[in-house]
Amino acid sequence: MKPQKKVAIRPLALWVCLLSLLVSSAASSGKAPHEPFSPHQRKHWAFQKVQRPEVPAVRHSEWVRTPIDAFVLAKLEAKGVDPSPPADRVTLLRRTYFDLIGLPPMTEDVDAFLADQSSKAYEKVVDRLLVSLHYGERWTRHWLDLARYADSEGFKSDQTRPNAWRYREYLIRSFNSDKPYDRFVREQIAGDELWSNDPDANLATAFNRLYPDEHNARNLVQRRQEILHDITSVVGGVFLGLTYECARCHDHKFDPLLQADYYRLQAFFANVRARDDIVLASREAADRHRRQLVAWEEKTAPIRQEMAALEEPKRKEILDDLIARYPEAIKEAILSPSEKRTPFQWLMYYKVQAFLDPGSYLYHAPTQAVVNQLKDEQKKRWKELQSRLDKFSDLHPGELPIGIGIGDAGREAPRTFVLSGGVYDATGKEVEPGFPTLFDPGPARIVAPAGMESTGRRTALANWIADPDNPLTARVMVNRIWHYHFGRGIVDTPSNLGLSGGLPSHPRLLDWLATEFIRNNWSIKHLHRLILNSNTYRQASLHREAATQIDPENKLLWRFPRQRLEGEIIRDAALAVSGLLNPEMGGPSVFPPIPPGMKASWETTQDPAERNRRSLYVFIRRNTRYPMFETFDLPDTHESCPRRDITTSPLQALTLLNSEVVLEWARGFAGRVLFSAGFDPDAQIDMAYRLAYSRQPTGDEKDAALDFLRRHRGVIAEHAAEGKKLVLPLMRPYNVDPVDAAALVDLCHMIINSNEFTYRN
Amino acid sequence: MVEKEPHILSLASRRDFLRRAGSGFGSVALTYLLNKDGYFAQAAADGGNGLLAAKQPHHPAKAQSVIWLFMEGGPSHVDLFDPKPELDRLAGQPMPESFVRPFTANKGTANNTLMPSKRSWKQHGESGIWVSDWYPQVARHVDDMAVFRSCYAEGINHVGALCQMNTGSILAGRPSLGAWATYGLGSANQNLPVFVILREVKQVVGGPKNWSSGFLPAAYQGTLFRKDGSPIFHLKTPEGITDRQQRSKLDYLAALNRFYAADKAEDTELEARLNSYELAYRMQSSAPEAIDLSRESEATRRLYGLDDETTATFGRNCLLARRLVERGVRFVQCYSGSGQGWDAHEDLEGNHSKMTRSTDKPIAGLLADLKARGLLEDTLVVWGGEFGRTPFNERGEGRDHNPWGFTVWMAGAGIKGGQVIGSTDDIGLRAAERPCHVHDIHATMLHLLGLNHLKLTYLHNGRSERATINGGEVIEEAFA
Repeated sequence: MKPQKKVAIRPLALWVCLLSLLVSSAASSGKAPHEPFSPHQRKHWAFQKVQRPEVPAVRHSEWVRTPIDAFVLAKLEAKGVDPSPPADRVTLLRRTYFDLIGLPPMTEDVDAFLADQSSKAYEKVVDRLLVSLHYGERWTRHWLDLARYADSEGFKSDQTRPNAWRYREYLIRSFNSDKPYDRFVREQIAGDELWSNDPDANLATAFNRLYPDEHNARNLVQRRQEILHDITSVVGGVFLGLTYECARCHDHKFDPLLQADYYRLQAFFANVRARDDIVLASREAADRHRRQLVAWEEKTAPIRQEMAALEEPKRKEILDDLIARYPEAIKEAILSPSEKRTPFQWLMYYKVQAFLDPGSYLYHAPTQAVVNQLKDEQKKRWKELQSRLDKFSDLHPGELPIGIGIGDAGREAPRTFVLSGGVYDATGKEVEPGFPTLFDPGPARIVAPAGMESTGRRTALANWIADPDNPLTARVMVNRIWHYHFGRGIVDTPSNLGLSGGLPSHPRLLDWLATEFIRNNWSIKHLHRLILNSNTYRQASLHREAATQIDPENKLLWRFPRQRLEGEIIRDAALAVSGLLNPEMGGPSVFPPIPPGMKASWETTQDPAERNRRSLYVFIRRNTRYPMFETFDLPDTHESCPRRDITTSPLQALTLLNSEVVLEWARGFAGRVLFSAGFDPDAQIDMAYRLAYSRQPTGDEKDAALDFLRRHRGVIAEHAAEGKKLVLPLMRPYNVDPVDAAALVDLCHMIINSNEFTYRN
Repeated sequence: MVEKEPHILSLASRRDFLRRAGSGFGSVALTYLLNKDGYFAQAAADGGNGLLAAKQPHHPAKAQSVIWLFMEGGPSHVDLFDPKPELDRLAGQPMPESFVRPFTANKGTANNTLMPSKRSWKQHGESGIWVSDWYPQVARHVDDMAVFRSCYAEGINHVGALCQMNTGSILAGRPSLGAWATYGLGSANQNLPVFVILREVKQVVGGPKNWSSGFLPAAYQGTLFRKDGSPIFHLKTPEGITDRQQRSKLDYLAALNRFYAADKAEDTELEARLNSYELAYRMQSSAPEAIDLSRESEATRRLYGLDDETTATFGRNCLLARRLVERGVRFVQCYSGSGQGWDAHEDLEGNHSKMTRSTDKPIAGLLADLKARGLLEDTLVVWGGEFGRTPFNERGEGRDHNPWGFTVWMAGAGIKGGQVIGSTDDIGLRAAERPCHVHDIHATMLHLLGLNHLKLTYLHNGRSERATINGGEVIEEAFA
């Protein structure tokens, strides 16, 4: 067994560690003997309080539409690079749709926009998309990357983690309602303590419940520590943009973070336990439910008692056997009377309790397993009782919706120690919860919330992070938003604003945005407006040789960076264009078909409409991601992903070319074209272009398409003459020529495969 | 000063390529008309994939292909290929003062006591090269192997070290060696990816940066085969679509993509994506056969250990690698223990017993099979990790990362077998005689592929970049 489960380590962080070790103490050289940090570390830009910079003066002030433009243009002018002309309206519209809602505009949206000659036509589109409920879906997906979201546990068994999807729904609601980010942060970290009666605030804490977990590990002490490592590095990276994990085994070699600081952050979570039973209902609804349940229980008591009596011996056997397999210390923790349990024992108790609680998804003795072991007579009797019980099912209130999250195990937390090498039992000096020593060397001031079995530790952390004076929080988040719009952040390492992270390309802009964010009540939608309405964002993406010579990587943003769409968005766009998209929002994850021959724990959703829900709702199993998405760079869910890879491979091409699922989209798309454009190839091509690319074909494009249909028709006709099956539109007019229709399917299929379809330009 | 080689593909020459390949941006429609007479189909089949067209090497190549057996996590050289009697003598003592304590991955492990190898060692083959009892079957091939005992690198932790072993730099962003080789040589089989990555259950740490094309055109990036079920899904045209129909569709797709790229010639990603479809199409006819291991005889399958659960996973990848290089794939990487499987910080015996058991037979089988088929003559087999492991213990029974001295061996194509090159110090901590840096290993591999690492350059941000950055010396004595 390795001392550290590597899943909890983030690669980026590791190379940072490694870098740091290389240059050894270069960063900390020049510090005074008692001073833990060098002036160089202390002076790092990201640790300075955010000051609102002046909006710079520029020569071509007519180009400035929002203050963002002034910051960008000032840099461009300094380098003698002109900004690009605006993108054409269709390009801009598609870019904005993909960016904000992750779907292409419908033809009527395009027409309306092109027809709107008012000066605010584009701003209106932005406003409209920001209130579209699909906006929340698009931006939730970004947050899921950061939250290492998956619907399963990970590790060998990789069991489904039910109700994880409720967190996804919470996110959609939060983004759609433009929840102020400081409130959002507080909810993620300590929603249960701060708003204990608000189901959503409790559900928000699932952010720290999404860790990969080897739930069947016997060494519960180690398992707890691995989870704490995960939480520490995720919280440090996502909210603070700091590579805390580099300080797990030694002081951070670049950033002013002591090894003790890592454990000081971890200590805020020292008393955390999983809560997989958060009731997502109003108090009244919950009361009503309870009353109904009690009524059912009273009516069925004799039956259930007899059933329980039959089950009990076997059940006890199974559970005793489970407990027997734990080490002595754990057994003691679970078997000792509750008033005698130490805080640490409580944590162990809760971990095991998940296997002993009939309501838990991890329950070790589910009824079916127990009944399977009953002897014939008993089983027969049990079944009789069950059928009698079934007669009362009308009275049963059903299950209340349940969410997952975390909570504290009590008002007192176990002690936290610096761990040598991060190894769970290599305890060193004790630490109290605290913020980075750089900012505050003392322990954090913690007040346990009144009337709650909670320490209040996370509240203290949440308040510190969400404080407008925190130099990191707002910078980190505005940089992320920027990153998702432009494909690269102002700092190109969005979860590392430390000394080993990228340097900001536009530091003053970053700070201006951060202050703007805070001043506007931490409104994310306000940032979208500022960015999208800028001329910077509206630029064309075309290459210009002269500008490339000066800024080959487009760091100064002299053009809009073209980017391939994510696999999920390609799928959503194709479903939308094909008319097959089921836009229903929310609910449990769905299982679209997987390639034939794939071995995976995957029960394909039977209802075709359900399969065609947006990609956001596709089930994510940690060890086997949906292959279409994996091929298109869906991140590994074992760690937080601040920036996706974008690769190009023939396997992506094979997927879009040969998958029956994709072909079905093409068949849907062709059907739409047929019904809206009729049988005239000329009109069909126009319609296909309008639906998929939001524009008319050029003359050459039209010729090429007509020529294709003509030639391709010949190819298919031969094939049809042999009596072979044709691939036809899903819906088609009764009098359409099958050969024509099949050729149209193929045209539509290639459009879905094309670069114009799969790129945000 | 490096001269501008034909390998430096400027923007203008990329445009040329597109024109040559039948695009001619002003007249895409015309192209399309030509195309219908099979003009383009022809062009596509014989290297319309211009970036990947076979190219002349700088000098006659000894190796046509590379199979790189990558033991991810860091195999312990002092327990496999580099016996250290001095470690036995100093067992349980701290490292003598004469050894400068390195800055280790895990804090302070250099202060821990030295841990002797528990293995028993034997000399093997005519050359008498020492191999421990962890690799009994691999040991039978020592006479084909040049064992570089004095390798060293800079990466102290996995991500950086893996990145360096693959790209020359501990910082992500540079092209991987496989991408450089592909760029330099193009493809010998236009119907399969040129550069393939095979892994086990988990992700390779650091993911695609390890086979990235970096600043080279995106067409040179490696292709990661799937780990579960078939290595490649969707190789079959959907039911109801004939091959002619597929070809006709793809011609139209190429036209669509050229229209789109007409004013975006600088975007190598678009170009790579266009090419990826042509490759995908050709893979449909070639790949099913190439990846179909059921075509192998029972004896061959056994040779690679496919009949045994312990060896089946890595064995399957080794066998697949052989089938791929046999068909002209240039560069195949097989990761053993992907996700840092060899990372034995705590329980070296347990970890390495398992890892060596899972790789010994497949590797020996691969070497024997390549030899029997005459493929070893032009296939370079490389074995190694991102670093080795320390002579001092970690947590009693483990060893920490050791990038200062470790072993890599090569066999096949142009390698003079049966020799040991270089040495580490008495305890195996640092490279001592004839140190071989990662750049030297890369330069040597490129040399065997017929490429001069000083001449294989690519102009990026005004600088002629090369795989070995500012270093690299070919290790001449390795050659036969």
